[in-house]
Amino acid sequence: MSSHDLISLLVIAQLAAPLATLATIGLPALAGRPLGETATTRLVGIGFAAGFLSGVAALVILGGRSFRPEIVHLATWFAVGHHEATINLVADALSVPYVCFSSGLCWLVNAFAGKYLHREPGFTRFFILLALFGAGMNLMVLADSIDVLFAGWECLGISSALLIGFFHERTNAVKAALRAFTTYRICDVGILTASVVVHRAVGSGDFDRLFGVDWPNGTCLVSATTATVVSLLLVFATLGKTAQVPFSGWLPRAMEGPTPSSAIFYGALSIHAGAYVLLRCEALLEQAPLARASLILIGTGTAIHASLVGRVQTDLKSVLAYASMTQASLILVEIGLGWRVIPLVHVIGHAILRSLQILRSPSALHDRYELAAALGGHPGSGNSWPLSMMPKTWQDHLYRVALDRGYEEMAVSRLVVGPIVRLLDRAAAAEKAWITWLSGESAGDRR
Amino acid sequence: MITPLMTPAGNWILYGVAVTVAAPLAAGGLAALGMAGRSLRMLAVAATAVSFVASLMIAVGWQMTNGDPVSFGSVLGEGRLIFIDGLNAVLLPYVGLVALAILLVAPRRSIEPAMVKRMLLGTAATFALFATSHPLALVVLWAVTAQLTWRSTRVTPGGRSAARVFAIYMWLAFACMAVGTAMLVADPPWERSSGLMGTSGGWLVAVAVMLRKGIVPFHSWYPALFSGAPMATALAATMPQVASYTAVRLLVGHADGVATELEVLAQFALITAVYGAALALVQRDLRGFIGALAMSQSALVLAGLSGRLPMELNGAFCVWISSGLAITGIGLVTWALESRAGDISLETLQGRFWDAPALAAFFLLFGMAAIGLPGTLSFVADDLIVSGSLDDQLHAGLMVIAATVLCGIATMRCWFHVFGGPSAVDSPKHGILPRERLTLITLIAVLFVLGIWPGPLVRALEKAAERVLFTPAPQPPAAADPPRAAAPAAPYSSPGLLRLLNVPSATKGILLC
Repeated sequence: MSSHDLISLLVIAQLAAPLATLATIGLPALAGRPLGETATTRLVGIGFAAGFLSGVAALVILGGRSFRPEIVHLATWFAVGHHEATINLVADALSVPYVCFSSGLCWLVNAFAGKYLHREPGFTRFFILLALFGAGMNLMVLADSIDVLFAGWECLGISSALLIGFFHERTNAVKAALRAFTTYRICDVGILTASVVVHRAVGSGDFDRLFGVDWPNGTCLVSATTATVVSLLLVFATLGKTAQVPFSGWLPRAMEGPTPSSAIFYGALSIHAGAYVLLRCEALLEQAPLARASLILIGTGTAIHASLVGRVQTDLKSVLAYASMTQASLILVEIGLGWRVIPLVHVIGHAILRSLQILRSPSALHDRYELAAALGGHPGSGNSWPLSMMPKTWQDHLYRVALDRGYEEMAVSRLVVGPIVRLLDRAAAAEKAWITWLSGESAGDRR
Repeated sequence: MITPLMTPAGNWILYGVAVTVAAPLAAGGLAALGMAGRSLRMLAVAATAVSFVASLMIAVGWQMTNGDPVSFGSVLGEGRLIFIDGLNAVLLPYVGLVALAILLVAPRRSIEPAMVKRMLLGTAATFALFATSHPLALVVLWAVTAQLTWRSTRVTPGGRSAARVFAIYMWLAFACMAVGTAMLVADPPWERSSGLMGTSGGWLVAVAVMLRKGIVPFHSWYPALFSGAPMATALAATMPQVASYTAVRLLVGHADGVATELEVLAQFALITAVYGAALALVQRDLRGFIGALAMSQSALVLAGLSGRLPMELNGAFCVWISSGLAITGIGLVTWALESRAGDISLETLQGRFWDAPALAAFFLLFGMAAIGLPGTLSFVADDLIVSGSLDDQLHAGLMVIAATVLCGIATMRCWFHVFGGPSAVDSPKHGILPRERLTLITLIAVLFVLGIWPGPLVRALEKAAERVLFTPAPQPPAAADPPRAAAPAAPYSSPGLLRLLNVPSATKGILLC
């Protein structure tokens, strides 16, 4: 067996393992015969472990050949005229380490969640969604075409929203889930349009026709205009999942979900999905200074916003959410500056630290008491020096701004969402009045 | 090339069409005579299942013709009484599946002789409509299907006002369709220099399609029907999309560009797709949401049908099937929920998850299948229609994307409002019946199998799309071919209709009668 065949087999295994898990636990649940807790946890764990181990094996083989990329053509999904949707995957210096990292983290969180959610109503639902997330993540990471990437991206969005609303009997959880899904969906316009522009430009969605796959040394194969348009659309698409201003309001509310899913989604993987997509398309960004400038601008603004707002939060999960937002923004700035390896290292380092913090957050008080006992006193946080050097009135003003989350949500709500909803409500009322008139009944008669 | 019926494939298809129409017709007759007794559901399901199998036989028979269309019937010149190509070879089983699913999931109290009779007669008429391309047959079957829908709605408690609204729109649609078709037959544009009457006829047919499809500004009956009619009636009337089929047969098909009527129709359809999706966002009851969603998705089909590219048409055909099956699923889950717990409001969180967790799961899956979950047919359909529209016209593509995005948000809002929120129960109160579970699983399986392995479906529909788009317009007559002496010198703007009406002068009198 050649190294090509071996890598192909391992890449397919990385994708097939979580998908098989999803089918194995999802189908019995749909048929009304869900598996028991132990079987569910083990099966999902086996799926992630298989993905992780095959990733490590592929990494070793790739390392042995200086990370020369390997494209795996699985199938042509469908083709109409010149439009061809292929299922192509890529194993290179970006995708294989990332898939090891994501599968490994999912594996660990699966083990944690098995205990954490013991006897929780919706136990099977959580693991079905976790398996869907794992499959979507691997699909997105291994994608060598924008169609496959979009498929994975959609799986992330749907599983994320459903897990935020996991405790569906809580009104706040439901509202937070809907808010997150709406944000994702609006930003999906970017990736959907980018996909069409790519198809139009090169005749297919394959990345190797767009910029080659020799990461991090890819070469842009399309015109600067196309590269700019696609890059700007991808930047817009990433704003939602990375919770950048003005789309950041969903992230602190997303902590309504179970702690294990918060850790893996908003501390580790989902929040960095946008950064991964931009890293994958770095050769396009190279040719699109406008897109890079917008990344730097938005990233810097969000980092300042999240850093300030995070300081006045009164619950730990919100503090962690804003800390995640700050780091994700800085990673976007790094990508905008044209760096490639540093953002990747930053993503992995931040993801591991933050998911650990979120997983430990339910035990935070206990941790704090232990730390105080070890230090012989309370570990005070104190004011950070740049803020304490400000005049008192400035500090107060800044505090109020931070407490209102930078007025971001108020502005979005009053200037964008409110008018649209009012307009639609009026249209619906006019429709109803017209039907009432047409049917010749009085307004009170209708069912 | 058109395959004649004398071939084995042709015979196979002819028998298939006969059985497809006859089985529900006969069962409807038995139900009307009260001969089914307590086995009413069994009779209806058996008859529809026979029709469904026969429709699959038609699809297999069409495959045996290597993709060539099969036609039969020269009663009215070259108008095809039976005409099977890639499009209806796929759509006939789709119609059968929708009808079968409705009958299987229908709550017990809905299964009464008059309702079943109308349902079966409606199914037979819809099958007949989807097996023909003859204008006169289309006009008659339009009237029959609309009348049955109106009657079912009118006899429903609280449905009189919806029936009245439906009747107003459908009378207008029927009048436009009948007059438009007659004008086209009486004054085929290729025989006179002006062709004013023929052109007007084309526009009237286009207006009829708008009325029957619920395209803005003629859309108001659509949500009203879902609110007032029984769910079975609303789904059976809207999901097959008889107006889209008529548009394909009469308006689409052009060797030298897109019919002007269809281009205008497409612009209205795009507005409807976005407007319907936006309305779905603010609906205050579940049925209103389904009506608005169905209106938006059905308009997407018509928008795609105006395309110049096979990809766009193919996308429209795929949306036709995927959204039809998904919305049928949502409708059936809603019906099952309503039969257990009454009308469902969307104004506040209803908290029905623990009350019916299986129905919540199915609603979610069908909702996801309607909005383009990867792995379902709608993902493929969205990909094709968005790519095709953007390739063709930028604004069309962006409007299709906007409609898709809004439909997604509206569907999730609906799911969270129905199933989310504090619940009064802490354990499942309303289980799901085996026949309901089996039917819903089958629908979901079809959506996923076609989404994961869309090749055969897309290829079949591609052949249909190419044939519809690229079949040459009628050629100038050969000297030795007297019946075709009146063939057009210049292509008419609706050559699809022109092909169908390319009949000898002597036959036109019969058509008009």
